[in-house]
Amino acid sequence: MTSPTTDRSEAIAGALLMLAAGFFAWQTMDLRIGTALRMGPGYFPAILSGILFLLGLLVFLKAFRSTATSEAMGAIAWRGLLFILPAPVFFGLTVRGLGFVPALFLTALIAAMASMRMKLHWALLLAFLVTLFSTLVFSYALGLPFRRFGPWLPF
Amino acid sequence: MEFLSNLALGFSVASSLENLTFCLIGVLLGTLIGVLPGIGATATIAMLLPITFQLEPVSSLIMLAGIYYGAQYGGSTTAILINMPGESSSAVTAIDGYQMARKGRAGIALAVAAIGSFFAGTVSTFLVALFAPLLTTVALKFGSAEYFSLMVLGLIMSVALAHGSVLKALAMVVLGLLLGMVGSDIYDGTPRFTMGITAYADGLNFVAVAVGVFGIAEILRNLEDEHDRQVLTSHVGRLWPTREDFRAIVGPVLRGTGLGSVLGILPGGGAILASFASYTVEKKLSKNPGEFGHGAIAGVAGPESANNAGAQTSFIPLLTLGIPANPVMALMIGAMIIQGIVPGPNVASEQPGLFWGIIASMWIGNLMLVVLNLPLIGLWVKLLKVPYFILFPIIMAMCSIGVYSVASNTWDLYAVAFFGLLGYVMGKLRFEPAPLLLGFVLGPLLEEHLRRALILSRGDAATFINRPISLTLLLLAVGVLVLVFLPAIRKSRDEVFTESEG
Amino acid sequence: MVIRHLLGAVSAAAVLSCALTGAGFAQGYPERQITMVVPFAAGGPTDTVARLVAEKMSGDLGQQIIVENVGGAGGTLGAGRVAEADADGYTILLHHIGMATAATLYRSLPYDTTNAFEYVGLVTEVPMVMVARKDFEPVDFPGFIAYVKENADTVTMANAGIGAASHLCGMLFQSAIETQFVTVPYKGTGPAMTDLLGGQVDFMCDQTTNTSQQIAGGTVKAYAATSPERLAIFPDLPTVAEAGVPQMEVGIWHGIYAPKGTSEEVTTRLSASLQKALADEGVVKAMADLGTAPSPAADATPAALKAKLESEIARWKTVIEAAGVYAD
Repeated sequence: MTSPTTDRSEAIAGALLMLAAGFFAWQTMDLRIGTALRMGPGYFPAILSGILFLLGLLVFLKAFRSTATSEAMGAIAWRGLLFILPAPVFFGLTVRGLGFVPALFLTALIAAMASMRMKLHWALLLAFLVTLFSTLVFSYALGLPFRRFGPWLPF
Repeated sequence: MEFLSNLALGFSVASSLENLTFCLIGVLLGTLIGVLPGIGATATIAMLLPITFQLEPVSSLIMLAGIYYGAQYGGSTTAILINMPGESSSAVTAIDGYQMARKGRAGIALAVAAIGSFFAGTVSTFLVALFAPLLTTVALKFGSAEYFSLMVLGLIMSVALAHGSVLKALAMVVLGLLLGMVGSDIYDGTPRFTMGITAYADGLNFVAVAVGVFGIAEILRNLEDEHDRQVLTSHVGRLWPTREDFRAIVGPVLRGTGLGSVLGILPGGGAILASFASYTVEKKLSKNPGEFGHGAIAGVAGPESANNAGAQTSFIPLLTLGIPANPVMALMIGAMIIQGIVPGPNVASEQPGLFWGIIASMWIGNLMLVVLNLPLIGLWVKLLKVPYFILFPIIMAMCSIGVYSVASNTWDLYAVAFFGLLGYVMGKLRFEPAPLLLGFVLGPLLEEHLRRALILSRGDAATFINRPISLTLLLLAVGVLVLVFLPAIRKSRDEVFTESEG
Repeated sequence: MVIRHLLGAVSAAAVLSCALTGAGFAQGYPERQITMVVPFAAGGPTDTVARLVAEKMSGDLGQQIIVENVGGAGGTLGAGRVAEADADGYTILLHHIGMATAATLYRSLPYDTTNAFEYVGLVTEVPMVMVARKDFEPVDFPGFIAYVKENADTVTMANAGIGAASHLCGMLFQSAIETQFVTVPYKGTGPAMTDLLGGQVDFMCDQTTNTSQQIAGGTVKAYAATSPERLAIFPDLPTVAEAGVPQMEVGIWHGIYAPKGTSEEVTTRLSASLQKALADEGVVKAMADLGTAPSPAADATPAALKAKLESEIARWKTVIEAAGVYAD
């Protein structure tokens, strides 16, 4: 492996950086740029997006003459992505409506399902214990202003 | 000998049974809440603040200070054990601390962090007691031009945070800087990159970003191939550092203490740089910089000392001027006001018992922490034996509570999910999270000080070289830049690079 | 003694929850704990005011008032939260002058300021003081105004960010003396005060909460107070009216609101409780330490707050539009 090869992950990395730079540059378009000595809100972001784009381009170009052996990207944690990421989102969506106790119970339950080793009854027990502990500590002992049961519930 | 009598007064106040008890309660509570994953010092203090309101002023502040140190300790513990930093300072600890934990050296990492912090805390407490008024005058010489130059220096040094490709590390710093711009422009209020979401008008929440790119990304990585791999935790190794370990940390701890003490005094954002700067210095001075990022003990000892020293000396502006250096200090001022003490330049002369009592309690609190935490290390490390599929749902639940409790902002929780995904993708593409986080905290400061310096100088860019402190810092930055791109050093970096690739 | 304090600390929060379960003696409202939203971070001056009165009102109402800090976007996030809350009297808002100024500073507010709330009453009005770095030349307020007019190209005025008290006072000052000079925004009062102490900027106008200790300590120079009367803590400091600029009279007033549709029975009950809290000796003393005083009972009423809000919206609309500064 002495001849240059294409490192696919590096190429993707470079492309994503340029994409991010493009996004920030696009968002900067509406902002007033100003001058170097009287900077507007857009000045700094505009320069930074430019630099980020250049760095992305360099990474992208270097990917095609890579001398290092390309490292496999490995498996992707689809199940993890599917259950871990929605957990905090679910908590955010329901903590005010359902209230702290049910929202946290369901959040822990959702997160627990991310592992294939987890059995449903163990997940339920774990979620129950986490909720019990957190409610005692945060709601009762520390008196945080969370509503334990929210207006979406009939009681 | 005024210093000695003042200190004696301080210790007599702080060592009353009552105050000792509150110090202990504060330290304990701070550690216990702070050690919950995803709950950092700011969230801990915000949660525990109301408890202190009905105490005597001195006791209340002593307890609050105890909570602050305790939460910082707790934050380092989660950074080391599960790669979950709750503060910008522990983000640096996570880099090598977590790698040490993966190699079965979690106990040693925790012990080193505790010992380094205690040493730094002791030294900087005496610095505060001896030189507080003098140091304050120095800090006041720092205007926006000086802070800007300091941030430039910090950014240039940040490249050393990466142990892979320098180019990609730079890209992460820049991306971090851009993410730091999210929110309302402070000069004319224009919302930037908020996508019309008012909840992000004050910027992205640091805890949401840090927990996402470090912690959640790590959980996802661990879930990748669970059927053919027992995740990291099986062996725990020894708990106590060996003689060689001790020898290896003497230098880093001393340098970290010095750096942290100096930077902590600057109320305009110096303390943020402390742990990053220490990491950079240790990596540059190390005989085998390739170790960094793979569990270097100096990468834990230095930044932890710097961080704790900075935490102590950042009390200086608060105590001598009544001005908060960070959000935690702002909370302490609120507590003082509710207690009927309006903090100001006269606190030291009008309330010497309170002033020196707090300083003495800083040291006592640090002592308690080390006494408390060394035995606890065994317990923390045992936590690693809990099967991972039980641990991570708990982590997710605590994260959600911690992030939400900071400002009751549900959008912060959505940000956690987004940055978790970003962190995971970054990991896949071999980007490192630490430079991103440094950019994220420095970005707003860099821009703010640059623009303010130019407003104050009426658009005269020469202000940066006309002011001696600023000029010195810029020259230092140039020096570091030259050092980084010196061929010899570049060569050694390339070796590291290929090493980590292969 | 020790034990008592110890118990106090550890059980502080437990007491809160006990208050919950131990309810039942109060007829009708309030039957459970009330959440008081403060649209700023914990520990700030507004939070301090809220916690002071919330504690006393809790005693009178027989139910705990819990302070919830919903900071962000100049207080509009917290105000928006309350505007959308159930109008059952269990979610109330403590906000300051920003309630009136946001109506103009923010061109797209998620709520209609004058139609989204019911009123409980005014709480306090914190005066402001014009302060300068201690080696600033002018000796008195008229001299100060003359100096600023003469050196409009070189003087700098700090403020704590758009919509902050110091920013409002600054806009008022510029329009009162009809002079434009450079203003330097900071992220909060702390950094602005640091630069003032370090002599990086020339002057600032801020609440006594933030300035009184620095004035007393001689680290800054005070020129005038923006209150109608001289301040009790600085009887030698002239008022802006005495110096001939009555247009600069301004105070950071705080009021308590409830969501639109909250019954009059509830607002009256809360108002009565607020008046009692404001008459409490401890509250009076705590406020005096901050250089302010509780609003008189006649102002701690729904009608007075409504009138204040409406007149202030009108007043600031002119000032803000003249300055052409917006927060979104």
